[in-house]
Parts: sequence; structure tokens; C-alpha cells
Amino acid sequence: MPNAIKPKKSVLFAYLIIPVVVFVFAVFVPLVTALVYSFFQWKGGPVKTFNGLTNYITLFKDSTFWLSFRHNIFLVLVCIVGQIGIAFIFVLMINSKLVKLNGIHRTFGFFPSTVAAVSIGFIWKMIYDYNRGLINWFLDKIGRGDLAQVWLNNESLVMLLVAIPLVWQWIGYYMVILLSAISSIDQEIFEVAELDGANAVQRAVYIVLPLVKNTILVCVTLCIAGNMKAFDNIYVMTNGGPGTASMVMAMYGYQVSFQQQNMGYGSAISVGIFVLSLLVIGGSQWLIGLMTKKSDV
Amino acid sequence: MAKKFKMTKVEDRSVGTKVKKGILGTFLNLMLILFSLTCIFPLVWMFYSSLKEKRAFNADIIGFPKSPTLLNYKRILENTDYHLGSSMFNSFRTTLLSVALIVILGFIVGYILARIKFKMNRPLYLMFLMGMLIPVHSLLVPIYVVFNNCGLSNKWFTLIIPYVAFGLPVAIFLVEGFVKGIPTALEEAAAIDGSSFSRTLFQIIMPICRPIMTTIAIIQTFSCWNEFSFALILIKSPKLQTVPLAMTQFTGQFASDYPKIMAAMLLTMSPIVVLYFCFSKQIIKGMVAGAVKG
Repeated sequence: MPNAIKPKKSVLFAYLIIPVVVFVFAVFVPLVTALVYSFFQWKGGPVKTFNGLTNYITLFKDSTFWLSFRHNIFLVLVCIVGQIGIAFIFVLMINSKLVKLNGIHRTFGFFPSTVAAVSIGFIWKMIYDYNRGLINWFLDKIGRGDLAQVWLNNESLVMLLVAIPLVWQWIGYYMVILLSAISSIDQEIFEVAELDGANAVQRAVYIVLPLVKNTILVCVTLCIAGNMKAFDNIYVMTNGGPGTASMVMAMYGYQVSFQQQNMGYGSAISVGIFVLSLLVIGGSQWLIGLMTKKSDV
Repeated sequence: MAKKFKMTKVEDRSVGTKVKKGILGTFLNLMLILFSLTCIFPLVWMFYSSLKEKRAFNADIIGFPKSPTLLNYKRILENTDYHLGSSMFNSFRTTLLSVALIVILGFIVGYILARIKFKMNRPLYLMFLMGMLIPVHSLLVPIYVVFNNCGLSNKWFTLIIPYVAFGLPVAIFLVEGFVKGIPTALEEAAAIDGSSFSRTLFQIIMPICRPIMTTIAIIQTFSCWNEFSFALILIKSPKLQTVPLAMTQFTGQFASDYPKIMAAMLLTMSPIVVLYFCFSKQIIKGMVAGAVKG
């Protein structure tokens, strides 16, 4: 790096100070704050009592917290299979050259991912609604009105029902990412494979998949990070209910801290979310790293 | 049937495969058209349903309105208690300022980290890298505590702080990667010609970085406009609510009046929808570039 373009220290300082201060203030200060308050009993009022590791012991035994963690993992898995899996199949279809209107599929398919998760939540809440919902209307029309139910009150189905909007919202997003990866591959490869008699499934598994593997892994990473922080649409659709049947970690932290005003324990939950999310994201990165390394050898 | 053998067009080999391909093609087309329709259907459904009265909607949830009316829109716009107008203004202001700051600051920091050698370069780089790894949602509670203690919550500028802070890392890395691809000769020549650091930065480098800055602006516009969780915990006054927050209040109030909710949702979604369908190509390109590189 040439010295000619190196500015004076004061100039450098002036340029960097604002972004660094804002960043530290909004990211690191809260992080430390959470860590400190997690050792206190604090109900949001002026009184804070130090109680050592009590919050963490409670957290460790808190079945609701671990249930919500499992729900996050459930969302991650459903969305990896649903979003990226379906997106990949669509990409293969588009790539087969038999499909027309590609531009429209791209534009329309991508659209839901630009809409606020809150709005998506409302739309699907209306679709699931008992009296005026589209699902029950449809069941009624095909003569299976007996199957109609208050969908979001069904404890055993509710996690799947809140996952469907998420899957639907992001299919197009991953589809477009994968399409852009495939378009950079030389089309001759597909033609040669076809000539050699490889069928569609073989082409997908042995040619397309390895070539876009890295992009798929990027998608998986995005998908994991996105679903560990699921909050908005669950807040809108079920508020974690019925009971705790659709509770996710961020939702639980929010309820404990703001609805029960238990800020001390809420801080401990925040630290818990922080550690678990990092573990899941870090663990998946490690696995992905392992997978990519193997292919290089 | 003349048997012509063509190397490149396998599908022409026989009538049988042609028919098969035709059926398969129709099937694939239908599948994708169905998918595309479901993506756009809610928007269309909400639009024509919002032109119905509540009674007409409840009688028939899917049919087109028999006597379309704009009453729902009139009602929600005229009643200032709903705060829809002010929430849109708040969202506009917050989004505009946040995006401008993210783009400018991200550009400056990204450029400095890419080009200037100084002691704090790597530590700063790592710090911002950590910002991308930190799970944002684990900071909801502590951010509320910190902002409350500093008297920063519930102000018109409140949300800009976290939006800028959490938007910066990606912006910085996109700019940093981009600047590393620009030859240094340009800056050296400028320096020899006596251009100051700031002048080089803004008059020579910035125009070159325009594509990556546009990408950042696109990504951040959508994420700021749609952001909900920080708004939920940091904003209490109805006058300062952003759009997603106002919508949750609004739907709570009118849980049974779907056409009214739909009208409000369409209204608050309209800027994003219009923006998207006018510039969908650039937006999709920008979002994909941002996602893959970030």
C-alpha cells in the first residue's frame, strides 16, 4: 500500500469515530449489559439484587426455554428442506429449458421475500382463520367442511403451520440465488451430459448439485441464521401459543422480559440465546467447512 | 420421417420423446405458474377484498366485490387515531436516514479498512466481522435496557441507531471487497496531483463504488422498512410508531374487520410494492449480490 494515499491520523480518526462509536454503543455495550444483569434479580424496577448464578440455574432447568430452542431447530430444518429443497427443484425445472415465463417467475417468486415478516404473518393468519380463512373455505368447497378447524389453536400442528409461511416467503429468494449461480455455469456442460444419456435426475445429482454446492451452502447458512431469530411472524400469528406450543427463543425472551417484567432473568435468556445461536451457527459452519474441504481433496 | 442426426439437439430424435417432452414441459410450466400465482395471490386478494364492505366480505371471502367501494381507505385515512399516516412518515424518515448513514459510513469505513495501513486496521475489521456473527435477537432485551438508561428510547431518531449499527457490518464488507478490486494507481495519481485524502475519497473513489453502494442501499431499504423487533421494544409512543408496529396495533383493534385490515396493509405496503415492481430487476440483482457476498 503506497504511502501517498495515507491520510493524517487526525483525519482517519475523524472519519472512523462516528461509525465505531455507534457500533460499539449498539452492539457491545448491550452485550456486556446483558451479561452483567443476568447475575441479578431485577423485575424492571429500581431494585436489583445480585443473585449469582441463580438465573442460569433456572435457565438450565427451564423446560420452556429448551422447548423454544427445539422449535427454532425445527424451523431451521423445515426451512432448509422446504425453502432450499423446493427452490432447487424449481431451479432444475427452469434450467430444463422447457419452462417459459422465467422473468415472471423470478419477479413474482422473489416478491414475498421483500414483504415485512409482520405482513406475511397477518396474511397467513387470515388464511388460517376459522370463519373467514381460505383454508376452511377451500375445505368447505370440496365438501370436507368437517376437517375445518381453528388451525392455529391446534397444538400439534401449530409449529408446522407457522413454518409454512416462512417456507413460502423465502422459496423465491433462494430460487433466484441458485439461478444466478447456475447461469454462471457453462451451458455446454448440460448439453454434453444430455448427449451422453444422463437423465434429468442424474444431471441434477451429479452435475448441477456439485457445481452449485458452494452456493447451496451459503443458502443453508443464511437459512440457519434467519430461523434462529424467528420472531416477527410468530409474534403476529400465535404470540407463542397456544400455551407454549409455538414458542421460539426470541419470543420467550421477549415475554419474560417485557410481559412479565423479569429483566434479570430475561437478560440470562438473552445470553442463552446468544450462546446457543453462536453454537448452532458456528457448528454448522464447521460442518460446512468440513464438507467443502473434503471435496477439494 | 427423415432421420437426421443432429449433435446438439437431442430432443429432435423422435416423435415419441417430443411428445414426452411436451407433456413434461406442460407439467413443469404449470407447477411454476402455480407457484408464481401463490406468491402474488395474497396481494391481489387483499386488493379486491379491501374494496368490499365488511359484510360483503364475510358473506363471500373469495369473490370479487359486487359494488366496489373506497370506504375502507377513506375511513382509515381520515381517522388520525389509527396513526397510519404518521407511521408511514416515521418509516420514511427512519428508513431514509438509516440507509443514507449506512451507505456513507459503510463506504468510508470499508474504504479505509481496505486501503489504509494503520495499527487499528485489523482489530476494527475483526470487530465489525463480529457484528455480523452476533445474533441480533439476543440483544433485544439489553438494547432496551441500555437505551432506556441513556434516555434514548422513544425518540424520533431512536431506531436509526440500531439500524445503522446492524446495517454497517455487511455494508463495510461489501465495500471493502469492492475497493480491493480497484487498482491503487488511481489514488496514487490523485495524490501526486495534490488531491487531499477526503477529495480523493469522495470525488474519485465514491463514483467508482456506486454499484456496490446501490446494492447496499437496496438491501437496507427493505430491511429498515420491514424491521419490527427493535421498533417493538424501543418505541412506545403511538406517534413514533413505524409501519410494522402500527399494523400490529391496528389489527389488534379491528381483528374481525378484514377488509379494513387489508386496506391498511396494502396502504402501508404500497411504497415497497411499487418500488419492487418498478425496479425488480435491479432489486433482485442487488439483494442476491448482497446475500451471497455478505
